[in-house]
Amino acid sequence: MHELSLAQSLIEQLLDLAKEHQAERITRVAVTLGPFSGIVRDSFEFGFNALKASQEVTREAVLELETPDPVYTCLDCSKVAVIPFAMESDRLELARYGPTAKKCPWCCSNRLSPKGGTELILNQVEME
Amino acid sequence: MCDTCGCQLHEHHHHDAKVVEINQSLLAANQKQAESNRHHIEQMGAVAINLISSPGSGKTTLLERTIEALKDTVRIGVIEGDIETERDADRIRAKGVPAVQLTTGGACHLDAPIVHGGLHVLEHLAKGGKYDLIFIENVGNLVCPATFDLGEHQRVILLSVPEGSDKPAKYPATFRSADLLLITKTDLLPYFDFSMDEALNEARILKPGLDIISLSATTGDCFEPWLKYLRGLLKG
Repeated sequence: MHELSLAQSLIEQLLDLAKEHQAERITRVAVTLGPFSGIVRDSFEFGFNALKASQEVTREAVLELETPDPVYTCLDCSKVAVIPFAMESDRLELARYGPTAKKCPWCCSNRLSPKGGTELILNQVEME
Repeated sequence: MCDTCGCQLHEHHHHDAKVVEINQSLLAANQKQAESNRHHIEQMGAVAINLISSPGSGKTTLLERTIEALKDTVRIGVIEGDIETERDADRIRAKGVPAVQLTTGGACHLDAPIVHGGLHVLEHLAKGGKYDLIFIENVGNLVCPATFDLGEHQRVILLSVPEGSDKPAKYPATFRSADLLLITKTDLLPYFDFSMDEALNEARILKPGLDIISLSATTGDCFEPWLKYLRGLLKG
Protein backbone atom coordinates (compact mmCIF):
# COMPACT_ATOMS: atom_id res chain seq x y z
CA MET A 1 0.00 0.00 0.00
CA HIS A 2 2.62 2.59 -0.95
CA GLU A 3 -0.16 4.56 -2.66
CA LEU A 4 -1.10 5.89 0.77
CA SER A 5 2.42 7.28 1.41
CA LEU A 6 2.34 8.87 -2.01
CA ALA A 7 -1.09 10.43 -1.39
CA GLN A 8 0.21 11.73 1.95
CA SER A 9 3.19 13.37 0.29
CA LEU A 10 0.88 14.94 -2.33
CA ILE A 11 -1.26 16.45 0.45
CA GLU A 12 1.90 17.89 2.04
CA GLN A 13 3.01 19.30 -1.33
CA LEU A 14 -0.43 20.93 -1.72
CA LEU A 15 -0.31 22.50 1.73
CA ASP A 16 3.08 24.03 0.89
CA LEU A 17 1.79 25.32 -2.45
CA ALA A 18 -1.28 26.89 -0.84
CA LYS A 19 0.94 28.66 1.67
CA GLU A 20 3.34 29.81 -1.04
CA HIS A 21 0.51 31.28 -3.15
CA GLN A 22 -1.46 32.54 -0.14
CA ALA A 23 -4.49 30.51 -1.16
CA GLU A 24 -7.18 29.48 1.29
CA ARG A 25 -8.11 26.26 -0.40
CA ILE A 26 -7.17 23.91 -3.17
CA THR A 27 -10.04 23.17 -5.53
CA ARG A 28 -8.54 20.95 -8.23
CA VAL A 29 -5.41 18.83 -8.56
CA ALA A 30 -4.26 17.34 -11.88
CA VAL A 31 -1.93 14.34 -11.64
CA THR A 32 -0.46 11.96 -14.23
CA LEU A 33 0.20 8.34 -13.17
CA GLY A 34 2.37 6.50 -15.69
CA PRO A 35 1.06 3.05 -16.70
CA PHE A 36 4.26 1.37 -15.43
CA SER A 37 4.68 3.53 -12.33
CA GLY A 38 3.60 0.70 -10.05
CA ILE A 39 0.90 2.94 -8.58
CA VAL A 40 -2.65 1.61 -8.55
CA ARG A 41 -5.03 4.34 -9.62
CA ASP A 42 -7.97 3.31 -7.41
CA SER A 43 -5.83 2.92 -4.27
CA PHE A 44 -4.17 6.28 -4.85
CA GLU A 45 -7.53 7.99 -5.35
CA PHE A 46 -8.94 6.29 -2.26
CA GLY A 47 -5.92 7.36 -0.19
CA PHE A 48 -6.07 10.94 -1.42
CA ASN A 49 -9.79 11.31 -0.73
CA ALA A 50 -9.41 9.80 2.73
CA LEU A 51 -6.49 12.06 3.64
CA LYS A 52 -7.69 15.33 2.11
CA ALA A 53 -10.53 15.56 4.64
CA SER A 54 -8.05 15.98 7.49
CA GLN A 55 -7.01 19.44 6.25
CA GLU A 56 -9.17 22.52 5.80
CA VAL A 57 -7.12 23.60 2.77
CA THR A 58 -7.50 20.34 0.84
CA ARG A 59 -10.99 19.26 2.00
CA GLU A 60 -12.68 20.29 -1.27
CA ALA A 61 -9.89 19.35 -3.64
CA VAL A 62 -11.03 17.34 -6.64
CA LEU A 63 -8.39 14.91 -7.91
CA GLU A 64 -8.14 14.63 -11.70
CA LEU A 65 -6.09 11.59 -12.64
CA GLU A 66 -4.69 11.03 -16.07
CA THR A 67 -3.34 7.56 -16.84
CA PRO A 68 -1.77 7.35 -20.29
CA ASP A 69 -1.98 4.04 -22.20
CA PRO A 70 1.06 1.79 -21.93
CA VAL A 71 3.62 1.94 -24.73
CA TYR A 72 5.87 -1.00 -25.70
CA THR A 73 8.86 -1.51 -27.94
CA CYS A 74 8.85 -4.83 -29.77
CA LEU A 75 12.23 -6.50 -29.22
CA ASP A 76 11.89 -8.41 -32.51
CA CYS A 77 10.78 -5.78 -35.07
CA SER A 78 11.71 -2.66 -33.02
CA LYS A 79 8.35 -1.02 -33.72
CA VAL A 80 6.55 0.90 -31.00
CA ALA A 81 3.01 -0.08 -30.05
CA VAL A 82 0.37 1.39 -27.75
CA ILE A 83 -1.58 -1.46 -26.16
CA PRO A 84 -4.20 -0.41 -23.58
CA PHE A 85 -4.61 -2.48 -20.41
CA ALA A 86 -7.72 -4.67 -20.21
CA MET A 87 -10.65 -2.61 -18.95
CA GLU A 88 -12.88 -3.51 -16.03
CA SER A 89 -15.69 -4.13 -18.53
CA ASP A 90 -13.57 -6.71 -20.40
CA ARG A 91 -13.16 -8.95 -17.37
CA LEU A 92 -16.23 -11.08 -17.95
CA GLU A 93 -15.09 -11.71 -21.51
CA LEU A 94 -11.58 -12.59 -20.29
CA ALA A 95 -13.02 -15.03 -17.77
CA ARG A 96 -15.19 -16.64 -20.46
CA TYR A 97 -12.77 -16.92 -23.34
CA GLY A 98 -9.43 -16.84 -21.57
CA PRO A 99 -6.85 -14.10 -21.83
CA THR A 100 -5.22 -13.37 -25.14
CA ALA A 101 -1.49 -12.89 -24.84
CA LYS A 102 -0.18 -9.38 -25.48
CA LYS A 103 1.36 -9.34 -28.97
CA CYS A 104 3.10 -6.92 -31.30
CA PRO A 105 0.45 -5.66 -33.75
CA TRP A 106 3.01 -5.76 -36.61
CA CYS A 107 5.00 -8.97 -36.19
CA CYS A 108 2.98 -10.89 -33.55
CA SER A 109 6.00 -11.31 -31.27
CA ASN A 110 5.24 -11.48 -27.56
CA ARG A 111 8.59 -9.93 -26.64
CA LEU A 112 7.19 -6.51 -25.83
CA SER A 113 9.35 -4.32 -23.62
CA PRO A 114 7.69 -1.51 -21.61
CA LYS A 115 8.77 1.93 -22.82
CA GLY A 116 8.84 4.85 -20.34
CA GLY A 117 5.60 5.16 -18.38
CA THR A 118 7.10 5.31 -14.88
CA GLU A 119 6.22 8.98 -14.38
CA LEU A 120 4.26 10.28 -11.38
CA ILE A 121 3.62 13.97 -12.01
CA LEU A 122 1.76 16.75 -10.30
CA ASN A 123 0.77 18.82 -13.35
CA GLN A 124 -1.52 21.56 -12.21
CA VAL A 125 -3.17 22.89 -9.07
CA GLU A 126 -6.19 25.19 -8.94
CA MET A 127 -6.58 27.23 -5.79
CA GLU A 128 -8.45 30.24 -4.47
CA MET B 1 -24.62 26.88 -3.28
CA CYS B 2 -21.93 29.52 -3.74
CA ASP B 3 -21.83 31.95 -0.78
CA THR B 4 -20.59 34.82 -2.89
CA CYS B 5 -23.05 34.96 -5.77
CA GLY B 6 -25.69 32.37 -4.91
CA CYS B 7 -25.14 30.23 -8.01
CA GLN B 8 -25.51 26.43 -8.02
CA LEU B 9 -22.35 25.70 -9.96
CA HIS B 10 -19.84 25.40 -7.18
CA GLU B 11 -17.62 22.79 -8.80
CA HIS B 12 -17.03 24.86 -11.93
CA HIS B 13 -17.31 28.37 -10.67
CA HIS B 14 -14.61 29.89 -8.49
CA HIS B 15 -14.05 33.40 -7.37
CA ASP B 16 -10.42 34.44 -7.59
CA ALA B 17 -9.45 30.96 -8.75
CA LYS B 18 -5.85 30.64 -9.76
CA VAL B 19 -4.33 27.81 -11.76
CA VAL B 20 -0.69 27.06 -11.04
CA GLU B 21 1.39 24.88 -13.36
CA ILE B 22 3.61 22.60 -11.29
CA ASN B 23 4.93 19.79 -13.54
CA GLN B 24 6.93 18.28 -10.74
CA SER B 25 7.28 14.67 -9.66
CA LEU B 26 4.97 13.50 -6.89
CA LEU B 27 8.11 11.99 -5.41
CA ALA B 28 9.97 15.31 -5.41
CA ALA B 29 10.44 15.42 -1.63
CA ASN B 30 11.74 11.83 -1.52
CA GLN B 31 13.92 12.47 -4.57
CA LYS B 32 15.51 15.54 -2.99
CA GLN B 33 16.35 13.57 0.17
CA ALA B 34 17.66 10.67 -1.94
CA GLU B 35 20.08 13.00 -3.77
CA SER B 36 21.26 14.31 -0.42
CA ASN B 37 21.71 10.73 0.87
CA ARG B 38 23.78 9.84 -2.20
CA HIS B 39 26.02 12.82 -1.53
CA HIS B 40 26.26 11.87 2.16
CA ILE B 41 27.23 8.28 1.26
CA GLU B 42 29.93 9.56 -1.10
CA GLN B 43 31.25 11.81 1.68
CA MET B 44 31.52 8.68 3.82
CA GLY B 45 33.72 7.25 1.02
CA ALA B 46 31.22 4.58 0.06
CA VAL B 47 28.96 3.25 -2.66
CA ALA B 48 25.53 2.02 -1.62
CA ILE B 49 23.41 -0.90 -2.78
CA ASN B 50 19.65 -1.13 -2.27
CA LEU B 51 18.65 -4.81 -1.94
CA ILE B 52 15.03 -5.53 -2.85
CA SER B 53 13.17 -8.86 -2.86
CA SER B 54 10.23 -10.73 -1.38
CA PRO B 55 10.46 -11.83 2.25
CA GLY B 56 12.57 -14.95 2.65
CA SER B 57 14.45 -14.82 -0.63
CA GLY B 58 17.81 -14.73 1.14
CA LYS B 59 18.88 -11.09 1.40
CA THR B 60 20.36 -11.43 4.89
CA THR B 61 22.00 -14.79 4.12
CA LEU B 62 23.55 -13.22 1.02
CA LEU B 63 24.92 -10.41 3.18
CA GLU B 64 26.32 -12.82 5.80
CA ARG B 65 28.33 -14.71 3.21
CA THR B 66 29.37 -11.51 1.41
CA ILE B 67 30.66 -10.02 4.67
CA GLU B 68 32.60 -13.22 5.45
CA ALA B 69 34.27 -13.01 2.05
CA LEU B 70 35.05 -9.30 2.00
CA LYS B 71 35.32 -7.97 5.54
CA ASP B 72 39.13 -8.20 5.76
CA THR B 73 39.62 -5.96 2.74
CA VAL B 74 36.41 -3.90 2.44
CA ARG B 75 34.81 -1.68 5.11
CA ILE B 76 31.15 -2.69 5.08
CA GLY B 77 28.15 -1.09 6.80
CA VAL B 78 24.57 -2.36 6.70
CA ILE B 79 21.21 -0.64 7.10
CA GLU B 80 18.45 -3.16 7.73
CA GLY B 81 14.83 -2.34 6.97
CA ASP B 82 12.04 -4.35 8.56
CA ILE B 83 8.58 -3.74 9.86
CA GLU B 84 9.56 -5.06 13.29
CA THR B 85 12.47 -6.66 15.26
CA GLU B 86 16.28 -6.26 15.43
CA ARG B 87 16.85 -9.80 14.18
CA ASP B 88 18.48 -9.02 10.85
CA ALA B 89 20.78 -6.36 12.33
CA ASP B 90 21.78 -8.85 15.04
CA ARG B 91 22.73 -11.41 12.40
CA ILE B 92 24.89 -8.82 10.63
CA ARG B 93 26.52 -7.62 13.88
CA ALA B 94 27.41 -11.22 14.66
CA LYS B 95 29.59 -11.11 11.54
CA GLY B 96 31.51 -8.20 13.03
CA VAL B 97 30.36 -5.25 10.91
CA PRO B 98 28.31 -2.17 11.95
CA ALA B 99 24.57 -2.51 11.39
CA VAL B 100 21.60 -0.21 11.96
CA GLN B 101 18.10 -1.62 12.21
CA LEU B 102 15.34 0.61 10.87
CA THR B 103 11.89 -0.57 11.88
CA THR B 104 9.09 1.03 9.88
CA GLY B 105 6.36 0.01 12.32
CA GLY B 106 4.12 -1.10 9.48
CA ALA B 107 5.24 0.73 6.35
CA CYS B 108 5.83 -1.63 3.44
CA HIS B 109 9.01 0.04 2.13
CA LEU B 110 11.94 2.23 3.11
CA ASP B 111 12.01 5.82 1.92
CA ALA B 112 14.83 8.34 1.64
CA PRO B 113 14.08 10.26 4.89
CA ILE B 114 14.19 7.11 7.06
CA VAL B 115 17.45 6.00 5.42
CA HIS B 116 18.90 9.46 6.10
CA GLY B 117 18.51 8.80 9.84
CA GLY B 118 20.13 5.38 9.41
CA LEU B 119 23.16 6.86 7.63
CA HIS B 120 23.87 9.18 10.56
CA VAL B 121 23.83 6.28 13.00
CA LEU B 122 26.07 4.22 10.71
CA GLU B 123 28.50 7.13 10.53
CA HIS B 124 28.80 7.10 14.34
CA LEU B 125 29.47 3.37 14.42
CA ALA B 126 32.60 3.45 12.24
CA LYS B 127 36.06 4.72 13.09
CA GLY B 128 36.33 8.08 11.31
CA GLY B 129 32.85 7.52 9.87
CA LYS B 130 34.26 5.90 6.70
CA TYR B 131 33.01 2.92 4.69
CA ASP B 132 33.68 1.40 1.28
CA LEU B 133 30.38 -0.38 0.78
CA ILE B 134 26.97 0.23 2.36
CA PHE B 135 24.15 -2.25 1.92
CA ILE B 136 20.59 -1.10 2.47
CA GLU B 137 18.39 -4.15 2.90
CA ASN B 138 14.85 -3.04 2.09
CA VAL B 139 11.65 -4.35 3.70
CA GLY B 140 10.85 -7.74 2.15
CA ASN B 141 8.34 -6.77 -0.55
CA LEU B 142 8.45 -7.16 -4.32
CA VAL B 143 6.07 -4.27 -5.03
CA CYS B 144 6.31 -1.05 -3.01
CA PRO B 145 10.09 -0.51 -2.53
CA ALA B 146 10.58 -0.12 -6.31
CA THR B 147 9.04 3.38 -6.31
CA PHE B 148 11.42 4.92 -3.76
CA ASP B 149 14.98 6.01 -4.51
CA LEU B 150 16.92 5.79 -1.24
CA GLY B 151 20.09 7.43 -2.51
CA GLU B 152 21.67 4.14 -3.59
CA HIS B 153 24.16 3.83 -6.44
CA GLN B 154 23.02 0.38 -7.51
CA ARG B 155 19.77 -1.50 -7.08
CA VAL B 156 19.99 -5.26 -6.79
CA ILE B 157 16.82 -7.37 -7.01
CA LEU B 158 16.86 -10.94 -5.63
CA LEU B 159 14.68 -13.73 -6.97
CA SER B 160 14.98 -17.04 -5.13
CA VAL B 161 14.37 -20.37 -6.80
CA PRO B 162 11.44 -21.42 -4.54
CA GLU B 163 9.51 -18.26 -5.50
CA GLY B 164 9.20 -19.43 -9.11
CA SER B 165 10.50 -18.22 -12.44
CA ASP B 166 7.30 -16.33 -13.30
CA LYS B 167 8.05 -13.51 -10.86
CA PRO B 168 9.73 -11.01 -13.25
CA ALA B 169 6.67 -11.06 -15.52
CA LYS B 170 4.32 -10.73 -12.54
CA TYR B 171 6.17 -7.88 -10.79
CA PRO B 172 7.45 -5.85 -13.76
CA ALA B 173 7.98 -2.45 -12.08
CA THR B 174 10.43 -3.92 -9.57
CA PHE B 175 12.45 -6.03 -12.01
CA ARG B 176 12.55 -3.18 -14.51
CA SER B 177 14.19 -0.94 -11.92
CA ALA B 178 17.08 -3.39 -11.32
CA ASP B 179 20.72 -2.70 -12.08
CA LEU B 180 21.49 -6.33 -11.32
CA LEU B 181 19.26 -9.38 -10.86
CA LEU B 182 20.49 -12.10 -8.51
CA ILE B 183 18.85 -15.50 -8.76
CA THR B 184 19.44 -17.00 -5.32
CA LYS B 185 19.14 -20.46 -3.72
CA THR B 186 20.30 -22.23 -6.89
CA ASP B 187 21.21 -25.22 -4.66
CA LEU B 188 17.44 -25.86 -4.57
CA LEU B 189 17.02 -26.07 -8.37
CA PRO B 190 16.72 -29.90 -8.35
CA TYR B 191 13.73 -29.70 -5.99
CA PHE B 192 11.67 -26.92 -7.57
CA ASP B 193 9.94 -26.42 -10.89
CA PHE B 194 11.99 -23.32 -11.76
CA SER B 195 12.76 -22.52 -15.39
CA MET B 196 16.00 -20.55 -15.61
CA ASP B 197 15.17 -19.73 -19.26
CA GLU B 198 11.82 -18.24 -18.34
CA ALA B 199 13.28 -16.10 -15.54
CA LEU B 200 16.18 -14.83 -17.68
CA ASN B 201 14.11 -14.20 -20.82
CA GLU B 202 11.28 -12.43 -19.09
CA ALA B 203 13.57 -10.25 -16.98
CA ARG B 204 15.44 -9.22 -20.13
CA ILE B 205 12.21 -8.45 -21.99
CA LEU B 206 11.42 -5.98 -19.20
CA LYS B 207 14.96 -4.63 -19.21
CA PRO B 208 17.03 -5.57 -22.25
CA GLY B 209 20.70 -6.14 -21.40
CA LEU B 210 20.04 -6.59 -17.65
CA ASP B 211 22.98 -8.19 -15.82
CA ILE B 212 21.98 -11.43 -14.10
CA ILE B 213 23.99 -13.61 -11.72
CA SER B 214 22.77 -16.96 -10.34
CA LEU B 215 24.26 -18.16 -7.06
CA SER B 216 23.74 -19.97 -3.79
CA ALA B 217 24.67 -18.10 -0.61
CA THR B 218 24.23 -21.31 1.39
CA THR B 219 26.76 -23.45 -0.51
CA GLY B 220 28.78 -20.56 -1.97
CA ASP B 221 28.25 -21.93 -5.45
CA CYS B 222 28.94 -19.28 -8.17
CA PHE B 223 29.55 -16.62 -5.52
CA GLU B 224 32.67 -15.24 -7.21
CA PRO B 225 30.86 -13.27 -10.01
CA TRP B 226 28.86 -11.45 -7.32
CA LEU B 227 32.02 -10.58 -5.37
CA LYS B 228 33.65 -9.43 -8.61
CA TYR B 229 30.66 -7.18 -9.33
CA LEU B 230 30.97 -5.65 -5.83
CA ARG B 231 34.73 -5.11 -6.12
CA GLY B 232 34.08 -3.39 -9.45
CA LEU B 233 31.87 -0.82 -7.71
CA LEU B 234 34.45 0.20 -5.12
CA LYS B 235 36.18 3.52 -5.46
CA GLY B 236 39.92 3.76 -5.97
